[in-house]
Amino acid sequence: MSTGVTPGSWCSKCGDIEGILSDITGVLYNSGKDGGTAIPGSIEAVAKLKAAGIPLRFCTNETQCTTIQIANKLNRLGFSIKPDEIVAPAPAVCGFLKQRNLRPCLLVHPDVLPEFAEIDTTNPNCLVVGDAGEEFNYGRMNKAFQFLVSLDEPLLISLGCGRYYKEDDTLRMDVGSFVAAFEFAADIKAEIVGKPSPAFFQQSLHTMDIRTSEKAIMIGDDIVSDVGGAQKCGLLGIMVRTGKYRPSDEPHSYVTPDGYVNNLAQFVDMFLEHRI
Amino acid sequence: MAFLIESSKYLMKNIFCSFLNPIKRNSAAEVVHTGVFSVRSVCYSATMDQIKAVLIDLSGTLHIEDTAIPGAQEALKRLQSSGLKTKFVTNTTKEPMRTLYDRLMKLGFNVKRSEIFTSLTAARGLVEQKQVRPLLLLEETAKEDFEGIGTDNPNAVVVGLSPTSFNYERMNEAFRLLLDGAPLIAIHKARYYKKADGLLYLGPGPFVSGLEYATDKKAEVVGKPEKTFFLEAIRDLGIDVENTVMIGDDARDDVGGAMKAGMKGILVKTGKYRAGDEKKITPEATALCDDFPAAVDYILSSLS
Repeated sequence: MSTGVTPGSWCSKCGDIEGILSDITGVLYNSGKDGGTAIPGSIEAVAKLKAAGIPLRFCTNETQCTTIQIANKLNRLGFSIKPDEIVAPAPAVCGFLKQRNLRPCLLVHPDVLPEFAEIDTTNPNCLVVGDAGEEFNYGRMNKAFQFLVSLDEPLLISLGCGRYYKEDDTLRMDVGSFVAAFEFAADIKAEIVGKPSPAFFQQSLHTMDIRTSEKAIMIGDDIVSDVGGAQKCGLLGIMVRTGKYRPSDEPHSYVTPDGYVNNLAQFVDMFLEHRI
Repeated sequence: MAFLIESSKYLMKNIFCSFLNPIKRNSAAEVVHTGVFSVRSVCYSATMDQIKAVLIDLSGTLHIEDTAIPGAQEALKRLQSSGLKTKFVTNTTKEPMRTLYDRLMKLGFNVKRSEIFTSLTAARGLVEQKQVRPLLLLEETAKEDFEGIGTDNPNAVVVGLSPTSFNYERMNEAFRLLLDGAPLIAIHKARYYKKADGLLYLGPGPFVSGLEYATDKKAEVVGKPEKTFFLEAIRDLGIDVENTVMIGDDARDDVGGAMKAGMKGILVKTGKYRAGDEKKITPEATALCDDFPAAVDYILSSLS
């Protein structure tokens, strides 16, 4: 198999690794109708890592549902994953909002609303935008914009900043593209909660009690958000050739992954092999 | 654009103004002034006497909604009988040529259809030049200006202000075409606009920006303040940019854009004009006039 992998670059560091972060969509499964489909080998790969006792978190920018729903969806596909193994922007932003005493106006998918159940949304003072899907229409966006510019200091918080993702074999615009619209309209910059924000990777590592980001690996199918973001935070960044990966991502103009792998299964096999 | 003063009879005024505005001397015969020192239709430009064509903005300059600026019809007649060429230029993404023409006629402005040049006209021109079949993210009314253009199996995207098209499915349709290599043409890139209810509404710019972000592409913007818009507007007149002046109420889109293209620019204090707008552009406007009739008087008095 022509893998294009240069094992030495990251495999030599496997012995020092204390934990692994994996993206979900495009690495564990491909989303689509009826819950999507598991990527071949990924179910077994996750099981192997767990059996080897490797701390593992699933770090996603998914904001169309709750972490409980994500876990349920993955488990229906054959994975064995608990909600608290998943790090997602919606729960993360709730902490952020409470900490800064912010009350959001929410432009998010209806299915993720339960994550915000304990958040005060009366008399809002910031706009939080997630991957709202069909909610991204002129009427809703215009209302959100009018609210945003009514604030003395418009504050825009984006749950991730992805350009697009793949669903049902179709590429779709992601939250970042619509946040770019708000940024342009109000002439402001959004604060990002989610990948590739370093704080989000740090938070994911903290849940595994890992204090040194150099001792962790992130694997994902988004060259900028997953790989580049993780590297900026100090982690090793591995690019996987599944999900929304396109051959044109390789080589990338400004992100050089620590390694490329064909799928999660290959990554786990290489990792476990070089760990010994 | 440099502000040239050749005649020594204006040097006194120029020197006076040097206390306010820096003056650079770039030759013995020329003094280059970096700012406007005139107000109310008085502006001493050596080249204003060589004006041969006048571009005129519509909304906010000739009329506000369905009311003409007082005296604007007579002022336009004076301009037309002076022998100067006129063109009516506007950023519109909703109103087709026919609607604009009908409104002007109803308000008593004597114009020809061929004298109206809009951002939709400019977009159509670019589509024809590129020989592409556009997906039109436009309101139905605006599609009238694209009659006869093939849109089956599209390989280009044209974006105007289209609340009915700005939904998730249509945006994604456009996004996928762009990812497959289709060019992105923006009628204009306004961030927002204000309605009579006093509220701000999203313009086409944010949606163009979103598509740009999603695809890592840059849109070709065809409306004001793009240089090509002003050049295209006068192409059939056979008159050079430096012999053309633009009159408008938008400092950035009308005056700034025209001046960057090499034209003169007159800012009028009607429509969306707010005190101090003239200071928001560099170089400053060639002249600042109370309204369209005052701008016409200024142009005609400069000719003699």
